[in-house]
Amino acid sequence: MTSNVAAIGPDMPIRDVTTLMELRRFRHFPIVEDGSGGARVVGMVSDRDLRAVGSPHPSARPDVSVFDPVRLIMSTPVITAHPDDAIEDAARRLRRHRVGALPVIEDDRLVGIVSAVDLIEALAGQRAGHQPSSLLEVEVPNRPGGLLGVLGALARLDLNVASVNTTRSDADAVAFAIRLDTIDAAGVARALRDDGFTVLWPVTVDTAGVPT
Amino acid sequence: MSTSGGAAAGSVRFVSAPELDEPMLGADHPFKAVRLPLTRTLLEHAGLLDPTEIVAPERIDPRLLYRVHDADYVEAVKLAARGDPLDDAWTYGLGTADNPIVPRMDVAALRIVDATVTAAAVVARGEALRAASFAGGLHHAQRARASGFCLFNDLAVAIELLTSRYGLRVAYLDIDAHHGDGVQAAFEERGDVLTISLHESGRFLFPGTGFEDEIGRGAGLGTCVNVPVDPGTDDASYLEVFDLVVPSALAAFRPDVILLQAGADAHRFDPLAHLELSIAGLIAVYERVMALADRFSAGRLVVTGGGGYDPYRTVPRAWAHLWCEMAGRRLPETLPASWHAAWRGRIPTELPTTALEPEDAGPTDDARRARIASHNRAVAHRTLAALTPIWAGWRRSAHHDAPL
Repeated sequence: MTSNVAAIGPDMPIRDVTTLMELRRFRHFPIVEDGSGGARVVGMVSDRDLRAVGSPHPSARPDVSVFDPVRLIMSTPVITAHPDDAIEDAARRLRRHRVGALPVIEDDRLVGIVSAVDLIEALAGQRAGHQPSSLLEVEVPNRPGGLLGVLGALARLDLNVASVNTTRSDADAVAFAIRLDTIDAAGVARALRDDGFTVLWPVTVDTAGVPT
Repeated sequence: MSTSGGAAAGSVRFVSAPELDEPMLGADHPFKAVRLPLTRTLLEHAGLLDPTEIVAPERIDPRLLYRVHDADYVEAVKLAARGDPLDDAWTYGLGTADNPIVPRMDVAALRIVDATVTAAAVVARGEALRAASFAGGLHHAQRARASGFCLFNDLAVAIELLTSRYGLRVAYLDIDAHHGDGVQAAFEERGDVLTISLHESGRFLFPGTGFEDEIGRGAGLGTCVNVPVDPGTDDASYLEVFDLVVPSALAAFRPDVILLQAGADAHRFDPLAHLELSIAGLIAVYERVMALADRFSAGRLVVTGGGGYDPYRTVPRAWAHLWCEMAGRRLPETLPASWHAAWRGRIPTELPTTALEPEDAGPTDDARRARIASHNRAVAHRTLAALTPIWAGWRRSAHHDAPL
């Protein structure tokens, strides 16, 4: 999330909002109104909303010009996030409401804005740890102890787990991408397969019979 | 550069010593030292390695080692190797699945550093144009951490020798299937060392780094080149991205010497990686490196080994070909029967009988190959797109030099 958020009032002319957006290089602004209970987010405006003004776009209101207040084109009601929301919750809300950013609101106070790009960065950061590691992808039954069995086997092989991500999940099975602190993922895969686990990566290619 | 004056054209050296043939991390470890005597004896039985070309490793100035590794890490390796209990072994990457604690591993690791530094020194002093240290190439070792079978980073120490003692600009080229993360980390902020690594993408393979947006930092911006390729990459696609990126990088950097890490695990038989190069493909890479050294570093080339976990069928043959390219020789089509006889009963599998593999490698999935090649090409172009403007800036600068 970006904490240094630029909030603007509902009466700012659309033309000025456009200028400010260019200047600050943001693509979304929360619209904030000062009321008796303090500042309150009353709408959101995106670069797309601004560009539609005066255009033949079907969603554009023909009666609104760039000299009118931004309140006329802002989106309401506002879809918000809370600082303690899970990243995947915020991502789901962005998808469901088809918006590009959520104002982050804590106790009626605007504390930041989180965009789709922020969420992608957060998820990409989970991909690799900060230490050298190998990828192991395993599929386990979708029932209690499924992943635990794999983790127990890895611990017995004296391997440290740097990160775990779910790559796919259905009623019967869940696949996990596990990053391990070893160069020999092939050896780990062999050991797990010998123990009856389903290893999706690394694949083993049997070259024993290939002519040399 | 005047140091090449004494080197006869085509003169080559092969660093070797009996103790380098002993496994550093134990006999059962996948990093098999037997690759070295297998390679050397193949060359000897074929009459392609003259005894006068073999040099023993010299002891290095220990100060060089400490330019690359923290003193507390070196001390931890020594203590662990002596069997002293070490509370923080884990933080140094010691006693792990990859780097078990083995008696005298410190001595073995130092001998490998000696070997590679000797090869570098021989070239820097002009005693030979090209020198090989196939025991070396431990590119994963970090400043204060063992990693991926590597304890001490012989490559980084050799680069320190070449830069600090001889004032040379060094281009490091890493064709191991794994990213050369330890060497990159050691020099990514240095303008006088170029590191180039072509490897299977970190998305799939250890150590999980080496993406095309890693291009160096600070004074080293632009001196770090990464081409991550997809699992399944074949000869044609590998050579295509090699030709796209490597010559341009060397032309921009203008090295005095090239250091090649020639891990042989990009071969399709390697059990630890998923690239699908053939022996012929590796030879084509080696030929290119020789031509590039002639063109950009007055022929000066230092070669090390590296990964390679198909130790009987693949590695000796690959490295014997590499030595032949360095020396301007050629392996006979049929490998000498006396070589096979010398090893019969001493290794668990058959040795190859021919210099090349049968041309028919079985069925191929052309659509899959085309798709992999297309992606690799896109990645190589992204690497170039990030670096080309920086390299153009070097060329414009007054002294025609990269920032130091």
